[in-house]
Amino acid sequence: MWTTPKPNYRPGLVSEGEISVNIGGVRVVLFGDILRRYPESRLAELLNCSTQNDEVISSLCDDFDPNRKEFYFDRDPDAFKCIIDVYYFDEVHIRHGICPICFIKEMEFWKIDQSVLDECCKSYLNEKEDELKEISNKVNIILEDLEVDQCVTRAQRCQRFLWKLMEKPGSSLTARIIAIASFSFILVSAVVMCVGTIPELQVTDAEGKLVEHPTLEAIETSCMLWFTAEYLLRLSSSPNKIRFALSFMNVIDFMAIMPFYVVLSLTYLGTTSMMELANVQQAVQALRIMRIARIFKLARHSSGLQTLTYALKRSLKELGLLLMYMGVGIFVFSALAYTMEQSHPDTLFRSIPQSFWWAIITMTTVGYGDIYPKTTLGKCNAAVSFLCGVIAIALPIHPIINNFVVFYNKQKVLETAAKHEVELMELKSGSEARRKSKN
Amino acid sequence: MFSSFLKPKAIMEKSLTELNKAGCHSTSSLPPEPVDIIRNKSCFRRVRLNVGGLPHEVLWRTLDRLPRTRLGKLRDCNTHESLMEVCDDFNLEENEYFFDRHPGAFTSILNFYRTGKLHMMEEMCALSFSQELDYWGIDEIYLESCCQARYHQKKEQMNEELKREADNLKDREGDEFDNTCCTEKRKKLWDLLEKPSSSVAAKVLAIISILFIVLSTIALSLNTLPELQDTDEFGQSSDNPQLAHVEAICIAWFTMEYLLRFLSSPNKWKFFKGPLNVIDLLAILPYYVTIFLTESNKSVLQFQNVRRVVQIFRIMRILRILKLARHSTGLQSLGFTLRRSYNELGLLILFLAMGIMIFSSLVFFAEKDEEDTKFKSIPASFWWATITMTTVGYGDIYPKTLLGKIVGGLCCIAGVLVIALPIPIIVNNFSEFYKEQKRQEKALKRREALDRAKRNGSIVSMNLKEAFARSAELMDVVVEKNERPHDNHLSPSRWKWTPKRAPSEASSNRSFNVQELGSSNNARATSPQGLNVQKLEEIYNQMAKTQSQPNLNAKDRGYRVCKQRDEIELGTIPDHRPVLGTREGVGDMKSLSSIDSYISCATDFQENPRLPCSPAIDLGLQESNRFCHSPATTMSQHNSAKTAQQSPVELVPMLTPVSITKPSYSETARKFFFSGNSSKSLIPKGACHSEVESGLSPLSDSSVTSDHSLLSPEVSVYTTASSRTPPKSPENPSLAPTVFTFHDSSISKYIDADTDDDEHIRDISDASPSDHLLAGSSPKCSITINYQKGTNHLEAAQKMLGQTCLFPLEGIRGVAHENHVGPELGRRPKVERGRQNT
Repeated sequence: MWTTPKPNYRPGLVSEGEISVNIGGVRVVLFGDILRRYPESRLAELLNCSTQNDEVISSLCDDFDPNRKEFYFDRDPDAFKCIIDVYYFDEVHIRHGICPICFIKEMEFWKIDQSVLDECCKSYLNEKEDELKEISNKVNIILEDLEVDQCVTRAQRCQRFLWKLMEKPGSSLTARIIAIASFSFILVSAVVMCVGTIPELQVTDAEGKLVEHPTLEAIETSCMLWFTAEYLLRLSSSPNKIRFALSFMNVIDFMAIMPFYVVLSLTYLGTTSMMELANVQQAVQALRIMRIARIFKLARHSSGLQTLTYALKRSLKELGLLLMYMGVGIFVFSALAYTMEQSHPDTLFRSIPQSFWWAIITMTTVGYGDIYPKTTLGKCNAAVSFLCGVIAIALPIHPIINNFVVFYNKQKVLETAAKHEVELMELKSGSEARRKSKN
Repeated sequence: MFSSFLKPKAIMEKSLTELNKAGCHSTSSLPPEPVDIIRNKSCFRRVRLNVGGLPHEVLWRTLDRLPRTRLGKLRDCNTHESLMEVCDDFNLEENEYFFDRHPGAFTSILNFYRTGKLHMMEEMCALSFSQELDYWGIDEIYLESCCQARYHQKKEQMNEELKREADNLKDREGDEFDNTCCTEKRKKLWDLLEKPSSSVAAKVLAIISILFIVLSTIALSLNTLPELQDTDEFGQSSDNPQLAHVEAICIAWFTMEYLLRFLSSPNKWKFFKGPLNVIDLLAILPYYVTIFLTESNKSVLQFQNVRRVVQIFRIMRILRILKLARHSTGLQSLGFTLRRSYNELGLLILFLAMGIMIFSSLVFFAEKDEEDTKFKSIPASFWWATITMTTVGYGDIYPKTLLGKIVGGLCCIAGVLVIALPIPIIVNNFSEFYKEQKRQEKALKRREALDRAKRNGSIVSMNLKEAFARSAELMDVVVEKNERPHDNHLSPSRWKWTPKRAPSEASSNRSFNVQELGSSNNARATSPQGLNVQKLEEIYNQMAKTQSQPNLNAKDRGYRVCKQRDEIELGTIPDHRPVLGTREGVGDMKSLSSIDSYISCATDFQENPRLPCSPAIDLGLQESNRFCHSPATTMSQHNSAKTAQQSPVELVPMLTPVSITKPSYSETARKFFFSGNSSKSLIPKGACHSEVESGLSPLSDSSVTSDHSLLSPEVSVYTTASSRTPPKSPENPSLAPTVFTFHDSSISKYIDADTDDDEHIRDISDASPSDHLLAGSSPKCSITINYQKGTNHLEAAQKMLGQTCLFPLEGIRGVAHENHVGPELGRRPKVERGRQNT
């Protein structure tokens, strides 16, 4: 490979079979034979048509100096120095420091195929392109928000207005107020759910059972009504109903509302004795747990929580690793502890499954103290399990944290980038408009 | 590079006559006619742009795409003046325009014209790139999104850091005392109390204060031990009388400290608002409130109520442990970190709260049917969830059912995860800030100098960061060197000359530095940082009043000036020889410092005539062997300060080297003298000895022969000696190369220093008549000539400057017309020019 002649960066006259080009001030003399290796590239075309008329030449290059037989290109010389490598080595590397997006544009100009780009630089390029794609997505969302209503019918306009009101807190003051109200309703309902379980605040009903305080019940009902109204409004105003219903946040919303109505209907069924009352109560109890889902509704209002879910989603593998480490550790150490503690007369380790609990509590360094080893060997085992637990947790947690931090920082960057992009678009459209008005 | 820059003058003149109508432009030729320019522009489709030495070629049509930018304007400029406004130099013949800017950034900027996409070079500093964009007149908003994210992130970071630095500087500047009563005493007191590093006494005071804080907290906790408590008349336990005394003493100290601080503070309201001072106040107040309440409510009935209030106030005493923050950088950075990462902290708390909520309700539903369960309600199981998620695990509540245990296990793992996630971001914030804080603390000494310079306006605000960082690094070395006391002995006597002559703020800045460092050897000040700028200025003012009348006849003065020059020459030049020999580590800095000294020597020549009288200086020279505050020094510094006001323009480049000049200088001087005494190498030992024999001063006698640690007399003897006895010829060979060697580095350093401001190079060369200097002949021979002349030494100094200027050949004439009176005249117009340039 190295035997092929290097590009000649010398000014001067060209001999036969050579071509002299001037790229933004850098003069290069290139051998025609080498350029012909990529016949579809711009330089090769130039070589072929150099004997032809001026028009073709001027379409290919920016300027031509007939005295020196020199073609001038108004391009970036740095990028060209990289691109010229393709004629010699059949591969191109992006020089460190040149923006890959910019570099690709240069390659397009020289009519060099992107496939000659080496793998190492390709991955870098892909990274950048992904980033750009994400930015453009964000920009699209922003643009959609900014878009002037073009809906023809009144119903559509209404729908659009509602959608903005419910989904885009930043779009108007009312939307913001609605978002805040929704947030406080979530908080209130969560508090009510917790407070309702305090025995002192409960009242006995006709059958002598403790039930929730009527005022709490009233608050709960009003919260539920709000959530329902919110959900229904969102659903009705959404442009795509199926996609809306299946999206993660809305599933959570639905789960938060649904138990309330199920309980209502069940009690109605119970009172009308269409079902066994005991069954109804059991079902109601089970459904009460579903109320917890409403806490997840907070995620809609916190970008941090969204980041967390995203990071966890991205690092499912590591999470699996964590659980696997923990699982292995729990099995090993609980079995060890069980066998070692057998010698003690009143041991707390009565079976291996029972000592699982001890193993979890020890490995996560919680240590309640409800089960603890009593023999020396068992204590040694406990110490080792504690150490292993720390390591087993610390090792896989690092990539998860890393994912989180990277995503968190990226989110910030992307937000500013998207904002900037919109500004840039405005600027460009503004200047275009000015130009048009001038003309 | 532009060929006209490098061409010798003679050739250039010849070529000028040949091409007189072509209008090859240089600073010395006539500007071309607009017609020529227009014709020239229409001749070429392309234009060559030379940016910092890198040639670019571009179509005029490309530049037209952005007509309002600097390059776009280049097209429209048809007169010489407007062209010179847009670019730094141009050559119509070659169709080339020169811009004295960073070439790296220009590539991406030119690509913007070509492709319409502005990308940023990866390795560029965002701040410097934004400066470049400003210069070329391109809005940063055009940056493409792929690069823009990085750019803004970096720039924001930079701006934040800059802002913090500026705040710090402002804080220090805020110590400016208004001229109300007893300013000086208050300032002293303020330094004593607020700046523990300013003097030994202040340090001792700080340590005592820390001890009191520790003592009072120990007493506070001991007070609650039942064994140490007394019972009062109501049967209630009360404070131990001994501990109460300790408490009273501590509070008395705190109160006194607070009051003194408050009295001495320059800005009372700002002081009152300061977070550290609020903490101080909160630490003191509870005690007095308690006393007030107990004394005013003696009756038994009210007593119980009062007791409760008093108990609350007792809790507030804990706040005094926060007083330690004043003495610990770590605590301060912790506070700052928490303030800065409240977003992440909020996230952490939100995660935890959600986790607690979910797991406590889950465990409640799992456990509530159990007999004798402790999970009675969801709020009751909050505690369990908190203790489990933070993996504390007291064991007072724990799940018993299988379902509960599964929830518990999940809760542990989720807790570990959720806590671990946002913490790295906070940690990152902390470590960043802590590192910064550490660096700042290290550079504290140099900060004063920079502070000073900033107030004078000699640092362009954009440059602050760069200059700051560089000088901070240099300063670290300097500070280490200053540990050696004899270094400082040397410096004042030798250095008092240079500051006086530099026509710039930098010199004033440097002079303070010198003073400051020198003063550390005086009985009064202890650390280099404790410079009393305020005081010095006062002294200067006084000196100015008494000696401002120039009472001398020109001839005598001129003669004296020459003598001084002579002294300086000999003092400075030989010093660089050892530097060359031992060029390791700090070699670079030394050359830089030497340059600085040379420049100041050369340029301030014009100042000399304005010195009130040289005998005083001579006197000062000898005096300053022992005292840094000799009249000569102070006077000279006053002068330099004065000139600084006159010519604020040409200053910037000198600034960075300022801080390092002196110590490294003294270091080299010391080396030189050691070598001179012991090895008898090239040093004009003869001169030294002859002088000693002539009995100039008894002190020097002893020092030369025996005492190596007391170096300053030696040096001064050497300098004075040289002033009387013209140096011998053997010295010259050794001198010449030294002059040469630093020459290159000096120029590059200069150019480095002010790439931002294209005016500087011209300014420096224009700064004095000395830019028409004798550079044509070799420096070596010029030295010999000068020395043979004996008296007329200013050329030698100017020669140094001549080397740094761009048109060395002109110098030959300068020798002839240079005299000792003229420079004063020559200087004024220059100052005026400097103003215009700004």
